[in-house]
Amino acid sequence: MQQRTRIYLTGVGGQGSLTATTLLARAALGQGIEVTAGEIHGMAQRGGVVESFILLGGWKSPKLGLGEADLFLGFEPLETLRGLPYLKKGGVVVSSTEALPPVAVSLGVAEYPELDKVRTAAESVAARAFFLPSKTLGLQAGAVQSGNFALLGAACAVGVAPVSVDGLKAAVRAFLKPKLVDINLKAIDLGVAAVNNQ
Amino acid sequence: MAHPLLAGAAGERHLLLGNEAIVRGALEGGVGFVSCYPGTPSSEVPDTFYRLSPDGDYYFEYSPNEKVALEVGGGAALAGAATLVTMKHVGVNVAADPLMTLAYIGAPGGLVLLSADDPGCHSSQNEQDNRIYGRLAGIPVLEPATAQECKDMARDALLLARRLAQPVLLRTTTRVNHLRGAVEFGERPGPAPLAGIGKTPMRYVPIPAVARQRHGAVLSILDAAREASEASPWNVESGAGDVGVVASGISRAYLADALAETGLEGKVRVFDLGFTHPLPIERLAAFLASVRTVVVLEELEPLVEKELRALAQERSIAVRIVGKGELLPRTGEYTVQIVARAVCAAAGADYAAPETAPATGNLPMRPPNLCAGCSHRAAYYAVRQVFGDDAYYSSDIGCYTLGILPPLKAADFLLCMGSSVSAGSGFARASGQTVVGFIGDSTFFHSGITGLVNAVFNNHDVVVMVLDNRTTAMTGHQPHPGVDVSLMNSPHAQLDIESVVRGLGVNQVWKVKPYNVKATMKALEEAKAAKGVRVVIAEEPCVLFARRTLKKSAPQAAYVAEQGEDTRRVVETLACPAFFKDENGYGVDENACSGCMVCVQLIKNFKARKRSA
Repeated sequence: MQQRTRIYLTGVGGQGSLTATTLLARAALGQGIEVTAGEIHGMAQRGGVVESFILLGGWKSPKLGLGEADLFLGFEPLETLRGLPYLKKGGVVVSSTEALPPVAVSLGVAEYPELDKVRTAAESVAARAFFLPSKTLGLQAGAVQSGNFALLGAACAVGVAPVSVDGLKAAVRAFLKPKLVDINLKAIDLGVAAVNNQ
Repeated sequence: MAHPLLAGAAGERHLLLGNEAIVRGALEGGVGFVSCYPGTPSSEVPDTFYRLSPDGDYYFEYSPNEKVALEVGGGAALAGAATLVTMKHVGVNVAADPLMTLAYIGAPGGLVLLSADDPGCHSSQNEQDNRIYGRLAGIPVLEPATAQECKDMARDALLLARRLAQPVLLRTTTRVNHLRGAVEFGERPGPAPLAGIGKTPMRYVPIPAVARQRHGAVLSILDAAREASEASPWNVESGAGDVGVVASGISRAYLADALAETGLEGKVRVFDLGFTHPLPIERLAAFLASVRTVVVLEELEPLVEKELRALAQERSIAVRIVGKGELLPRTGEYTVQIVARAVCAAAGADYAAPETAPATGNLPMRPPNLCAGCSHRAAYYAVRQVFGDDAYYSSDIGCYTLGILPPLKAADFLLCMGSSVSAGSGFARASGQTVVGFIGDSTFFHSGITGLVNAVFNNHDVVVMVLDNRTTAMTGHQPHPGVDVSLMNSPHAQLDIESVVRGLGVNQVWKVKPYNVKATMKALEEAKAAKGVRVVIAEEPCVLFARRTLKKSAPQAAYVAEQGEDTRRVVETLACPAFFKDENGYGVDENACSGCMVCVQLIKNFKARKRSA
């Protein structure tokens, strides 16, 4: 029987978190891991919250419930904080530190939570929580969109899910357009390094 | 190279979206004809067929609405084509009329109707349970729960439909349409040969004498379908013990995971129902008789539950049946935890939900919003300036329903696709109030036209604003009869909305560009001063569609040249998501700004400049 892992991913419409979800699921399948994934994306284009799920190792459901995520990927810190109840006690968080403020915050009528608050909340449930400037790492690799791959690299490096960094890289080579491969491989390495340095 | 869904060989394994798997399954079932009206969560099925159509050996069309789609598909199936018709659950309401008759006269080529239901109302106005349509029409229903089953059941549904010469309902839910999983391909034989009706009017024209006879035939075919259900590999029993669970739809997946988590795997008897109508009653009767308690898992309505209760009564089976109630709600979606709790309660096992982190309250929300530069915002702004809170706004279904949000507040009531014109007419007649209806271009062709015919015929007093953004924006930019057909990958004809409106007998028609605020307000002022049926067509391509498909770019972006009370007022009344506020005051995010220049027209504090990058 395969190791069973549930992964919760949350981000903001337009960030590309669903593309990242699909690639991670393909990486798992490429390693012979049973995979089911799901997403709610009705409003994905319009700046709403986008949640997705990857369940590895023989789960049948395409979603997970509160307190069930072994691994938590936050593509945006506010959404990390909002989605935290999905994390299993003792699970692992990998989150971006870089904010995409909602309209109400941009217009000064609502307040964006301090990053420290996000960190403290995550650390209160998680066994380990890793925060990295994924967008900046993406830019460092060559494209802002590659930030998601830095986050994926970090997620594979923390050792919770059976998907390996090599498996992720194999999926990047197999499924991305050739001109995007090198940039994203570099972004993955930067994400892995960010985790190893924490 | 052709897409794997078309070219993939038997035995290949691919990670597919549930909706993509349905496409492959229909192809393996020999589909030759596909029609649809898009709607979440069904849209990726027709969109994939459309995308692949240049290489495909099937006919595909987007029809203007679900009734037409099912009639076109019904005609194709009568001509003998293996046919798939797709829609979201509420679309089946629109298509219910042809559906009921197709069930009577049959569809010899084989016709599968995909109904994509939406428990939880993720993107719909209700969560109606369309399994009921299978029972109402008297046709078989199959319900997949995994990507592999989406593929295999789409194939089997088509083969069954052809064998019975009767429509089959393939019923999915949002979770199933939008899951991803590994799918192993089977053979793809190419389109099934035509198996048409010939000239047999006393069989296929349901005049009362024929219809009376066909009602009996519907019931006989259902008997044959019940035999298929009894023997179906989609209806599977497993496990042991004196507690049973009968599960259908996505609840089967939740049950499998709940049993694995609670350690009850193998310790309860499970009846997995994939072929859910007609039920395999002989096998279910034996199952009921073999357990002390049975839990029935089905989202939404207690259909299987009630049939099992009736079955137990008929056969005098003493079994406790646990269905809808406190633990198993009739609203919304089920979860693994809901299922685990209910099954543990029935089995007398303890269940504790996992510990969770407390939710952080009062976080800023991210409500879906009209995009920066959306032409609907410009139109709504002008309408509010002219009509304010004095008019009632009859909304319709599309992105523009988001106009409900403040500060635009451009929606007071809404029924369904196309209702803005007709419900607006009735509201105005009964109340004597000014009513402005909003309808998108795709929705206008869907079912706004008949409302407009009625408004002209009955001389209603209503302003209709057609928000023509040149595409079906909400569901992913599908074509409709009004689009620029040069963008499509096969020959089509284009209908002009203004000509249609005038052709229907409306003679008070204005056509404006909503990005031109002054001209739009002038047209609305004139419409406000007039009486009777008035149509204002506001035409401007959807900003996403313009960027992605039409490859339009705006070299300039707006910026705030001067702060102050007027600037604040515009920020608050237009509420464009490109606006922001920082320590220097208000500004316009250049990356988010589409360059629509609506704000620039309102006050001199906003100005345009060349983009920096």
